[in-house]
Amino acid sequence: MPSYAARQRKSTIVMALCLMATIIGVAWLFLILFSLLWNGLPGLSLSTFTEMTPPPGSQSGGLLNALYGSLVMTVIGVGIGAPIGILAGTYLAEYGRHSKMTPVIRFINDILLSAPSIIIGLFVYGAVVVPMRSFSAVAGSLALAVIVIPVVVRTTEDMLLLVPNTLREAASALGLPRSYVIRKVAYRAARAGLITGVLLAVARVGGETAPLLFTVLSNQFWSANLLKPMANLPVTINNFINNPDANWKHLAWTGALLITVAVLSLNISARIFGASKDGR
Amino acid sequence: MLEKISVKDLKFFYGANMALKGINIPLYANKVTAFIGPSGCGKSTLLRVLNRMYDLYPAQHAEGQIVFDGRNILDAGEDLNLLRARIGMVFQKPTPFPMTIYDNIAFGLKLYENLSKSELDGRIEDALKRAALWTEVKDKLDASGLSLSGGQQQRLCIARTVAIKPEVILFDEPCSALDPISTAKIEELIDELKHEYTIAIVTHNMQQAARVSEYTAFMYLGELVEFDETSKIFTSPRDPRTQDYITGRFG
Amino acid sequence: MSTVTQTMQDTSSKNTATQQRARVLVGMAFGDKVFALATKLAAYTVLLVLAGIIVSLVVGAWPAMKAFGFEFLITRRWAPQLEPEPVLGALAPIYGTLVSSFVAMLIAVPFGLGIAIFLTELCPHSLRKPIRLAIELLAGIPSIIYGMWGFFVLGPFLANYIEPGIVAAFANIPVLNTIFGGEIVSNLSLFNASLILAIMILPFITAIAVDVFSTVPPVLKEAAYGIGCTTWEVVNNVVLPFTRVGVVGGVMLALGRALGETMAVTFIIGNSFKISGSIFAPSTTISAAIASEFAESSGVHQSALILLGLLLFVLTFFVLATARFMLMRLEKRAGA
Repeated sequence: MPSYAARQRKSTIVMALCLMATIIGVAWLFLILFSLLWNGLPGLSLSTFTEMTPPPGSQSGGLLNALYGSLVMTVIGVGIGAPIGILAGTYLAEYGRHSKMTPVIRFINDILLSAPSIIIGLFVYGAVVVPMRSFSAVAGSLALAVIVIPVVVRTTEDMLLLVPNTLREAASALGLPRSYVIRKVAYRAARAGLITGVLLAVARVGGETAPLLFTVLSNQFWSANLLKPMANLPVTINNFINNPDANWKHLAWTGALLITVAVLSLNISARIFGASKDGR
Repeated sequence: MLEKISVKDLKFFYGANMALKGINIPLYANKVTAFIGPSGCGKSTLLRVLNRMYDLYPAQHAEGQIVFDGRNILDAGEDLNLLRARIGMVFQKPTPFPMTIYDNIAFGLKLYENLSKSELDGRIEDALKRAALWTEVKDKLDASGLSLSGGQQQRLCIARTVAIKPEVILFDEPCSALDPISTAKIEELIDELKHEYTIAIVTHNMQQAARVSEYTAFMYLGELVEFDETSKIFTSPRDPRTQDYITGRFG
Repeated sequence: MSTVTQTMQDTSSKNTATQQRARVLVGMAFGDKVFALATKLAAYTVLLVLAGIIVSLVVGAWPAMKAFGFEFLITRRWAPQLEPEPVLGALAPIYGTLVSSFVAMLIAVPFGLGIAIFLTELCPHSLRKPIRLAIELLAGIPSIIYGMWGFFVLGPFLANYIEPGIVAAFANIPVLNTIFGGEIVSNLSLFNASLILAIMILPFITAIAVDVFSTVPPVLKEAAYGIGCTTWEVVNNVVLPFTRVGVVGGVMLALGRALGETMAVTFIIGNSFKISGSIFAPSTTISAAIASEFAESSGVHQSALILLGLLLFVLTFFVLATARFMLMRLEKRAGA
């Protein structure tokens, strides 16, 4: 057996490496944030929010139509996905807690949670775009909804399982029907967690690009028609990066900065909200 | 004397495990009946059968009869929600809902009755008075129920139960998590409540049983060993096991 | 006499109250049933989504399966424009997917575990939360931002300052001069994609490793420290063996992410269907191929892209399923 000093030296070296890994890991975050601010901030102005995406070669323009489209599709996607996710999570934690299907559904849900989002895009292309014969904002929203569902199912189930059974019994002892026990008491007790789950889902789909590429496509112009392709921030960034136009490149950085700030603030507020015991 | 509830040959099973082995006992109207016995004797189980709380869980079932107002509540067709509204329950640990003191009580009331705001206010005041909590909380009805002390929370739970006007109230070791002063308050309260309600209380504390109840049942290993007036149980028990228990030789 | 009347009145008012309550409850019964049914339907929607994905992919991939059959898996050539018939093979994107993920894991696993060890064994308590938050925020950054950053910042930096040096260093060593060989002609390469992937999956590995490390009973660690073990010896001989299943599960979960990651990879891998021995050469992955070609594809070309998607789904499904099984085993043990 090596001497104690040698063993201690070895331990110190390994721990120093761990410290270095941590420093590098944290540095990446700041490196990326710094690049975004450095490249995106100069292009940020009022016109970013008031003007449409410009044609190539132009010197002005903004991201208004893309921001609008992203907002619309995120709202619809979460609006469809979150209720389904909350109801499904409710089944797993409440009505179906002892059902034989519950572990199966939970397992499949966990897999969908990490499934490649481009596969969701292919699915919605085949299930919605092909039958409707058109790329559309509806298709994009549905793709986002499919991504939202597993996220919300998971958090809802976890949060409801944390609600003590004594609370359910107390509500049942007043003669409340099961659905009231769940909706008025269990949801109330788990409210902070449920909201956190939805916020995290919004953060997750807010920057999703792959499932939108061939479901909504994008649109260089203003469109509020849900049955037609609609501009959106991630795909607009994607298209602008792939183009040598300098103005587009600046707009892409500005858009990237906006998305990242929005998504990270959602992440942080979800965490703060989830940590504040009951969100009251 | 009027039997509010009559338990007849009640057997209860957790899966294949028989936890109650044929219980026969009356609960007399407007009297307090205490259930005592060592841990695991089935006294809490019996209480949870009386409002069919066990129905919330799979693989638990009861056989026999529990007659309440001429109906066997173990029948499959029994409306459990209505039953539980008529047979209220107060639990071992205080369980205020995560909402305001006012809403904790208003919540059940609003569900069952169509009340105006002033009627509702009146009923809530009445319930809190009956639970001897009114003077302590009347200025902070909008505070969270969770902000109260343990003893206050337990009285809030009693107020919540009383508000929907049940006929029977089941207390499942209501004081085991409370300090002596809160315990004394709850005991006084039970003494008041029996004028309007039929009461069953499970307790670990024999002095408590002696203080609050008119009748006492001693249970052991899923069986009812002895049931009689409280004074008789504590002064001249017929069964040697009862004697051993109340003199502290086991349990 | 008066008490009797009083009691009778009480009883009759009780009865009306009971009847009213019964009516209210009957009124609520319908809504109660609807809600229960709605939750059940929603839960089965999850299964329906899985079935929908499989059916939709199989239907879409069917023409390509018929046209290429098993050959699809072993054909290196990808020529969608070829006349009269396109030749399409999945070998290059499969190769790129597996190798880029493998290289990413080689980088991310030691880093991720290192950070987790630092956080659980060394880090002062006050710093734990902020560092964990910083690492977890890395997971929150959308993948297109990683792709963009890799394309504009990391790729040029690596190609100009790092990779030529590595190529020169290994130039005379057999085998390694192939793996790290070739001329650095562009900012786009398999290695750049792997590095971006590594940064992306780092938070997953760290988060799960921290979670499973915290399942080690403190008494085990204390016993080891008590007999004079160094920090590293405790980690190596107590923590890691105790949590092996969970760590492997976390690594598999991260692998599942890496295999399917799209936007971070598409910009910087070069989208080249050539299989090269050098990790500094451009390549492609299944998801990058779909992302860059699908919108402009049609006919059997599109079907072949969907078939690629089906292959990716099957691959990630098995990786993720294995990961979940391993994590479930750990949960059971922690619960017992």
